[in-house]
Amino acid sequence: MYEVRNIAFSYSNRKVLRDVSFVVSPGEVVAIAGENGAGKTTLLRILATLEFPEAGTVVYDGQDAFEKPLRYRRQLGYLGETPALYEDMSVREYLEYRAELKGETPKRIRRRLEEASQMCQISGELKLHIRNLSLGMKKRVALADALLLRPRILLLDDFLAGLDCAMRETARAIIANVASFSSVIATGHEIADLAAVATRFLVLSGGTIAAELPAAGSDAQALAQRVEAALKGSRG
Amino acid sequence: MSRVLTICRRTAGLACSLYSTALAFGLFFAAGALSFAFSLEMAEGSQTPLAVAWTSAVAPVLPVLAALLAMDAWSEERRSGRIDALLTVAVRERVFTAGKFLGIYSLTMAATLGLLVSTLAMLYFFAPATLGNQHLVSFAPGLFALALQGALWCALSLAASAMCRHAAAAALASIALTVALPRGLWFALMEWAPQGRMAFGEMPLDAHAYDLASGVVSTSTVLSYVILACFALFCSSKATASLRLAGRGARALRASTALTIALAAALALSLLALVQRVSTTFELEFLVRGDNGFSARTRNILADSRGEISITAFLSRKDARFRPLVHFLRTLAGESEAVGGARLSVRYVDPRWDIGPAERLVRAGAREDSLIFERGRRRAILPLAGGFDERMCASALLRLATRAQRGVVYWTTGHGECQYTAYEPWGMSEIARNISHCGYRNMPVDFASASSIPDDCALVIIAGAKSDLSRAETARLDAYLRKGGRLLVLLAPAETAGLASMLSAWGIKTSNTPLAGARTLTGTDAIIGDFSEHPVAAPLEGSQIVLEKPLVLRPSAAADIAGADRVEYSELARAGEACVAAAAERGAGTGDDLALRPTRIIAVGDAAFVMNGQLKIRGNANRDFFLNAVAYLAGTDAITEAGTEAGRLVTGMDRAEKVRFVVASAIVLPGALFALLAAAAAAKRRRP
Repeated sequence: MYEVRNIAFSYSNRKVLRDVSFVVSPGEVVAIAGENGAGKTTLLRILATLEFPEAGTVVYDGQDAFEKPLRYRRQLGYLGETPALYEDMSVREYLEYRAELKGETPKRIRRRLEEASQMCQISGELKLHIRNLSLGMKKRVALADALLLRPRILLLDDFLAGLDCAMRETARAIIANVASFSSVIATGHEIADLAAVATRFLVLSGGTIAAELPAAGSDAQALAQRVEAALKGSRG
Repeated sequence: MSRVLTICRRTAGLACSLYSTALAFGLFFAAGALSFAFSLEMAEGSQTPLAVAWTSAVAPVLPVLAALLAMDAWSEERRSGRIDALLTVAVRERVFTAGKFLGIYSLTMAATLGLLVSTLAMLYFFAPATLGNQHLVSFAPGLFALALQGALWCALSLAASAMCRHAAAAALASIALTVALPRGLWFALMEWAPQGRMAFGEMPLDAHAYDLASGVVSTSTVLSYVILACFALFCSSKATASLRLAGRGARALRASTALTIALAAALALSLLALVQRVSTTFELEFLVRGDNGFSARTRNILADSRGEISITAFLSRKDARFRPLVHFLRTLAGESEAVGGARLSVRYVDPRWDIGPAERLVRAGAREDSLIFERGRRRAILPLAGGFDERMCASALLRLATRAQRGVVYWTTGHGECQYTAYEPWGMSEIARNISHCGYRNMPVDFASASSIPDDCALVIIAGAKSDLSRAETARLDAYLRKGGRLLVLLAPAETAGLASMLSAWGIKTSNTPLAGARTLTGTDAIIGDFSEHPVAAPLEGSQIVLEKPLVLRPSAAADIAGADRVEYSELARAGEACVAAAAERGAGTGDDLALRPTRIIAVGDAAFVMNGQLKIRGNANRDFFLNAVAYLAGTDAITEAGTEAGRLVTGMDRAEKVRFVVASAIVLPGALFALLAAAAAAKRRRP
């Protein structure tokens, strides 16, 4: 069980998040929607332990993530807004380096790399130089990196942004696949695409969770409409 | 550890793909080679070992290389956003710091080794004589010094990179921290207290490089660098960790980080004070010893010496001469051990700190800034006011290691000769002092009043007699020579003082014929570089002596006589086609079973060439030539080499060769290296 408890965060005098709490069950895909500046990225950065919250905490398997960050990070996959990769490397070199860095043994690196590249559909691009990849392909490489060690929690920040229709379709398929072994928390503005894979939507507004919309009992289109309505409502 | 190596490989690999690294390497090679060429120019003719000159030249350039290599280490990760991907991995910040440090450090040391190889290769090409007696292992202490300083520069530069968002700002900050701040403070201090320059000695960073390169390893110096590097790495690690502390909620954590750094600084300062307190200095003799270039004379003196001789350097450790002196004494002691001579124990007494020993030395008559040689109850004190060299120290050893006096050198008087006691420019007090340093006593002798030459006479010198010797005087001199006497005649221009007939009887004939084909500077002097294989002249090969209007010497008819009375005539030096210095020997090689002392005469066609004024203004080998002659005539045959040039750093490059050396090592080679690395980086970027 993954639990976010009463998270609050401010930059100097500006409150970004206040009392954000939710729970994510194993295998769940939670999508977080919100306007620009609503605090989606900050929330994910806190969940990735890249920022310390002003108040509140994240509990995973009964352990405080900020008290035992290394243990928590071993279960974590994080993909930021823009994929920042080493452009002087090939895809294979990059993933091997990242697997080594994450502490994977040399014997298992190859198997992990094959799994992740198949899952993200980049098996044919392993020899390519990262500098020459498109944005979508780079995002898939970054996702493969996040999935290398089969994390129990996957944080995706605006993963679908900038992708064309076909690529978004692929990305949705990948997320659905990942959900078989991982809890996914994804943010973004592509409500329809997220609705297709999300089991629950959280609408973030004014630094708090304005609405929580479970997908159960409604199809993706209906869910997307409910989310759009919630967003409009929060704006009003 | 494997993660540290992974990060190290990535850091080095990433740096190799950057144009800035190619530029950093090129600049480092150019600046290092230029600095080395300048250092060679400054050290030319000095006792500075080549390895020390190289290390001292490279050490000031090293922090700039470290700054340029480390500037991207963290700031580029932050700029590109890769920092997030790194900080979400289950790896501690200190592991990242260690890996990045090792990556930059390995590149820095690779560049340093490359610079050493390239400069030595250039030296081998342009000035092979410089490398003649160098062992590669003698560069090991210098590399150790650079490795130690390089570790600190890399750690500080990494810390600057972790604290700055932009690479250029990181480079500027680390250059300010590692170059401008220490050197600026030093120069400001020197400006503020110029009278303290001698008391403070060298800039500490340069002094450390010099000391370590000379094999003088102080535990406090080594540990200080290690402590400061560890502190810089700790700060770097904390700066990386504080990247997570942007929000207001982390205010307490930021304060605790600042407090931790302050505590670490206090701990580092305490440790620095502690290591200064319990410092020990030891010398890596096995590394710096080798063919150190001592002259044959010094080596023979050392080989002849027995027992234990104590040498005390009585001067401030911060004195600029202290380090070269330490190096010289260490190599001298090593050489003595190598040739089976006396055991030389060297110790250093600082007048300001070692109060007890200093007081004992002062009571014994030694003054500050002197070297004290002691053997049993005998003592020789060598003032360092006018500098020190191998010959002075060897002479002091000679006085202690052999019998108290080697004999008396008698200077004739009463015929207008140059006075060995006169300190004026036309006197010979300077050369007489050199003779006395060699263990001989100088005494005047007047043949008119003396019935015979005293038995303790090692040599008679007639230094430019301007009036004739009487018949009786000539007879006494002839009688002395026939008993195996030794005579050194310096002939005044156009005057032979009635010696012509006597010299002719001993095989040397003088002539007033003008010199032809001699090289000259003023029109009246003769520059002589053509020396024979005679033991007096052979060691001067490659140097020059200058004589004023020298007389021409030829072999006389006596030199042609065969049999036991045969006089062996040898030319020593030639000016153009004419001989201006000659030696005659009679009685040598009469038979293995006969131990006859051969008669020896050396005549030089000029009396002014070792006058005080000449020795002061002439940069030539006149003094060596004269002392060689004295040693050959009065001393044992084995110590005829003065060899003051031995052990000195001599490149042998003329101006044009120096320019070519600088162009090749500081422009062409770094340019080629930059082009090669830039092409490699471009090739990496063009990969499909």
